[in-house]
Amino acid sequence: MIIDFTTAAYLSIAFWASGSMLSIAAKSSPALKKTAGALNLGGSLIMIAFIAIYWHALERPPLRTLGETRLWYAALIPLVGLLVEYRWKISWLKYYCMGLAAFFLTINLLHPEVFDKALMPALQSPWFIPHVVVYLVGYVLLAASSVAAWHNIFLSWRIKEEKSYDALSHYLALLGFVFLTFGLVFGALWAKDAWGNYWSWDPKETWAFIAWLIYLGYLHAVSHKINRLKLQWYLALAFIVLLVSWFGVNYLPTAANSVHTYQQS
Amino acid sequence: MKADRRKLFQKPWEFREAALIALTLNAVGFALQYASGGSGVTMPEWPMNAITLTLSACLILAVGLGYRNNRAVAWMGGIPLGLSLILTLAALSFIGGMVPQESGGNPTAVRLGLHSIFSSWPFALTVVIFLINLGLSLSWKLVPFSIKNLQFILFHAGFWIALSCGIFGSSDLQRLVVPVEEGQANSQGYIIKSREAKQLPFSVFLHDFSIEEYPPQLLLYDPKTDRLVMNSAQAIPEVCTGATAEWKGTKVVVTDFIASALPGKDGIPVPVDPAAGVPFAKIRITSYEGEGETWLSTGSPMLKPAAVNVNGFFLFMVAGSPKSFRSAVTLRDENGFEKIANLEVNKPVNFKGWKIYQMGYDEQSGKFSTLSLIEAIRDPWLPAVYLGFFMILAANALFFWNGIKKSGASS
Repeated sequence: MIIDFTTAAYLSIAFWASGSMLSIAAKSSPALKKTAGALNLGGSLIMIAFIAIYWHALERPPLRTLGETRLWYAALIPLVGLLVEYRWKISWLKYYCMGLAAFFLTINLLHPEVFDKALMPALQSPWFIPHVVVYLVGYVLLAASSVAAWHNIFLSWRIKEEKSYDALSHYLALLGFVFLTFGLVFGALWAKDAWGNYWSWDPKETWAFIAWLIYLGYLHAVSHKINRLKLQWYLALAFIVLLVSWFGVNYLPTAANSVHTYQQS
Repeated sequence: MKADRRKLFQKPWEFREAALIALTLNAVGFALQYASGGSGVTMPEWPMNAITLTLSACLILAVGLGYRNNRAVAWMGGIPLGLSLILTLAALSFIGGMVPQESGGNPTAVRLGLHSIFSSWPFALTVVIFLINLGLSLSWKLVPFSIKNLQFILFHAGFWIALSCGIFGSSDLQRLVVPVEEGQANSQGYIIKSREAKQLPFSVFLHDFSIEEYPPQLLLYDPKTDRLVMNSAQAIPEVCTGATAEWKGTKVVVTDFIASALPGKDGIPVPVDPAAGVPFAKIRITSYEGEGETWLSTGSPMLKPAAVNVNGFFLFMVAGSPKSFRSAVTLRDENGFEKIANLEVNKPVNFKGWKIYQMGYDEQSGKFSTLSLIEAIRDPWLPAVYLGFFMILAANALFFWNGIKKSGASS
């Protein structure tokens, strides 16, 4: 491969770190703003380029193992932060997003995965890419929503003022829920083709269903006008359930029966 | 002014009553499950399930529309109860996500249905009340109809249809495994769990079963630690002519590769037909002890694999994992109607209301398997469930669109 993962990861993290520092400096000297934005974006572009090269070298989409999905996550979540800044002029979210991305790349740096081209027959399907990518986008949006909720909780605790970003955490959760739903239904349609059942209460399915119900619950709580701080706590903690359905399932006692563990130790 | 705190069960009912009802429901459910000895709920079969479901749907609609101003009915179809039931379903699913869903385990847990939570009484009761709640809320948005409510209607009706048809239809699902040997036909399937044999309304004739494998891989095994040694590139080396690999000072180059061969005279393999041979690779090993060249083979059920000892480690070649496997079959119904098909994983074939799947093969024989395991599935409720799914997706597309529009207004 032209570029190895370690180099790409360090390069991305360096871009995000220097971009963040410049972004902070740009508050006093706006001339730096463009360079800062380019560096922040550059970090994700490096990851996207790496994913493309990795895809080519593996001869299959790098979406099979958890480590591979973390690459996509790391590439996409800073983009959500940058989009929020571009669309709503809210600049703090991107720092958390780049921090999360760097965190996920660090996990991959500490646990390098084996380069393995094999893709079992059940995964060779036109559903593979839409199912996983839609889920990843959903996870990314809901992670950002959770971060925004924590930020809101922090603001109300520190500053004790009503000014907060409830709308941001809400719309990120709403968009995230839409992607989660698409991921879930795509998964069901694929499962019917691959295993003959659209739903079989496989542990990963069960957990994806729990996460979906939790966010469904949030949307109903919102429409019933529940206390705003309670909602922020709900969103902040809901992401933990999503993390279990993404990573945690592999470590649960039920994992042995799962058709969703494609990890090789 | 200090607001008086509403007492429990003081009208109008809210979340606390809803949570209490949900908890009571589950207590009753678990008690029923325990009392019934853990046997769980059995769904009625066609046509009873369809009749029950249709009558229930009509009843819910009638009550919803006839008593929409009644407080109790309004509460039954309201958000507090809905939210409580959503979280109850999440909690029951949590049990299903933590406790392995299989037979066996702690007798009390088995009797309480913890190992079969999704066919247990508490789950069934929660789903029934949930369908009533969902159905009532839907009836109020359906009549009078307004295009503004389209997203609500699509999502809630879609969920109602998918959930109810999925559960009520599960008793009509037929799933049979049909083992077929090459050159033979079979019209008998069996149910995996009970091993009960069933006659199919058609037969499956297997012309040919074939497997395509990924290239073989080179592995270095350390007998002292009973582990495989990872090479410097953190990759499992695939075998092809010219491939190289390196393990801590031991360099390996593949100088020749024959995808299918059998051992010949003087230890030199002879290429043969792919159906008969196994992969052979000639490798040159360079280590601090010197250089040498030898043949490796993956072996087969009939042939011992050839490995090599390198400074106390074993270098061997394993067959690649299956890339694809397929069965060329002829399906034939009782009237002699025939269909020739290629069955492959992820590519089921429809025949006379059944979906026919490539399921497996004799894994002991690997690519030499002449046995193909075909699965025949009939799920008459599938179109209804899919209708529900597509309504949910359509609703979410609308939700997305409205969300984007509204978020612009709020900024």
